[in-house]
Amino acid sequence: MPRFLTTWSFRLTLLYAGLFTASVMLLFGVIYWSALDYAVQDETDEINVEFHAVVDEANLAGYGQLPTIIANHLRQRAGTRVAYLLEDSSGRKIVGNIDALPPREGSMAVSLKSDEKHRKLQAHFYRLPNGDFLLIGEDSFALNEMKELIARAFGTSAVITLLLAIVGGVIVSTSVLRRVESVARTSDAIIAGDLSQRVPVQGSGDEFDHLASSVNAMLDRIEDLMRSMRQVSTDIAHDLRTPLTRLRQRLELSRRQNHSVEQLHDALTESTKQVDSILETFGALLRIAQIEAGQSATLHGSIDLSSLLENIVADFVPAAEDRGQILAADIQPGLNVTADRVLMTQMVVNLLENALRHTEPCTLVTLRAADDGAGLTVSVSDTGPGIPLAERENVLRPFYRLEASRTTEGSGLGFSLVAAIAKRHGATLRLSDNTPGLRVTLQFPHLAAA
Amino acid sequence: MRILVIEDDAETAGYLAAGLKEEGHNVSCAPNGRDGLFLAASEEFDLAIVDRMLPEMDGLTLVTALRAAKVETPVLFLTTMAGVDDRITGLNAGADDYLVKPFAFGELAARVAALGRRPRKTVTETSFRVADLELDLLTRTVRRGGKEILLQPREFSLLEYLMRHAGHIVTRTMLLENVWDYHFDPRTNIVESHLSRLRAKVDKGYKVELIHTVRGSGYCLRA
Repeated sequence: MPRFLTTWSFRLTLLYAGLFTASVMLLFGVIYWSALDYAVQDETDEINVEFHAVVDEANLAGYGQLPTIIANHLRQRAGTRVAYLLEDSSGRKIVGNIDALPPREGSMAVSLKSDEKHRKLQAHFYRLPNGDFLLIGEDSFALNEMKELIARAFGTSAVITLLLAIVGGVIVSTSVLRRVESVARTSDAIIAGDLSQRVPVQGSGDEFDHLASSVNAMLDRIEDLMRSMRQVSTDIAHDLRTPLTRLRQRLELSRRQNHSVEQLHDALTESTKQVDSILETFGALLRIAQIEAGQSATLHGSIDLSSLLENIVADFVPAAEDRGQILAADIQPGLNVTADRVLMTQMVVNLLENALRHTEPCTLVTLRAADDGAGLTVSVSDTGPGIPLAERENVLRPFYRLEASRTTEGSGLGFSLVAAIAKRHGATLRLSDNTPGLRVTLQFPHLAAA
Repeated sequence: MRILVIEDDAETAGYLAAGLKEEGHNVSCAPNGRDGLFLAASEEFDLAIVDRMLPEMDGLTLVTALRAAKVETPVLFLTTMAGVDDRITGLNAGADDYLVKPFAFGELAARVAALGRRPRKTVTETSFRVADLELDLLTRTVRRGGKEILLQPREFSLLEYLMRHAGHIVTRTMLLENVWDYHFDPRTNIVESHLSRLRAKVDKGYKVELIHTVRGSGYCLRA
């Protein structure tokens, strides 16, 4: 069975076709019966006129003359198809050109034998004042013709309507099916592995285009996620191999060479530290993954950002001083934001530590927070070496280390974590030139500022 | 102390038991949740170390059941689940501390000592005293030898924690979690910075040094 016959759209079309055809039939029915009624009425009027004419004559000449009058009329109208029948109350024919009929008042159709053919005539039986019955019939050829005409027209229309409806249904359902199938085909291609496939959008703006656009947007997101996942996996594999390799080498070396117990002890301590460092990297990665997946559910509260930032600054000022650096703050009081307290803390701490760690003594690191009406901005700037314009995109990638800082402590995940937390809060992260130095700016959307 | 270790990984259980015994504790082990719950409820322990993921009954259910049975034994959760929400869930179930695997044994030892000492009655201290150093929580003042020492708010909290655990080792992580409420490890040693400043105010110029650094483990306040 062709596929389209099972589709919903075809069934629906069939239903509409059925309803439409039925309404057409109803309409025709109404027209038919109205026209019929009119024609019958018309005929009956003619018969009445003739009847009255006969009665008038009978009144003038006397009812005894009635048979003669009727015979006269018959003769006058020979050649036309008419029927006259005069009967007495018991049904015995007195005069007429058709056979006797059971006498009763009312309209009827009678049959007239003429030219070897039987003709249908519209007739009316009248009851005369003298007890007799007079039937007058007129040719209903026109009427019959009309009936036939209408019936035929009606029949043809019904058939045409039904055919058109079916054809229309087929066309509509196949076109709908084609659109649906294109989505299915794209999905199959994607399942087979080609993630770059997209559902074709026709540009007509209809529901299918809307569906196609939505599906495409979803596919974009999936492709994005898969790409970043692949990227992270590659990065992890690459960047964790190095410390693990180093660790293995050290352990193997310690085992192979003859060392004193104390040297072995030191080697073990060093190795443990390295393992800790690797575990920390894993932990940070997991954290980033959790944040990106949106697992931290406590984002819906409003926190006092000003106090939070001031506390963090107070925590880090001593550490900065110990390194010969100055940590300054310019925090607008009374700032509130919808955020996760723990994540915000971690993000700001990361930024401060980045600034402190990658700059020399005598550097000034400043934490600023303000709401300028357009949105809430938090920035950490330093007067250190800064990051070259070309590298600013790269530092956000996990594990990326600038050549200059390859030797410093850290997993290279700091910025990635900041980026992930910023994204989770709907904030944009921007790196710019502090001339000199680096300025990292977080812009929170206006709605987030509570 | 009598310590109950409820851990299904034999190697970890062995590692814990050996280490704790070396510290002088009396250790019993249970390999699953059901046995663990039974032991914890039927015998007296000073501390229970519970793995979060256990067969037969997971750690969370175990602790909830324990607390429902009015067993007040302090509980330390050991787990690989490091999420902030995981920690909160664990503490809400009735645990007293939460340590993420893997950990340095010194960290565990310090926390075990801290938990074992926790007074089971809800007596709230309003002041602490070690040698000639006094800390008053109500007036938020610190005195040494009668003379008042002015401290920053963070320095005060730090000293309070040290005095609360006077005589015992307090690790950097414990300080970060309890004094700073940082549940991640900032690479910058803010603990050391603050502690050195605290030392300068509290110990400098006095004959007896009260705040000590224990290499490889943490810090300790004692006479």
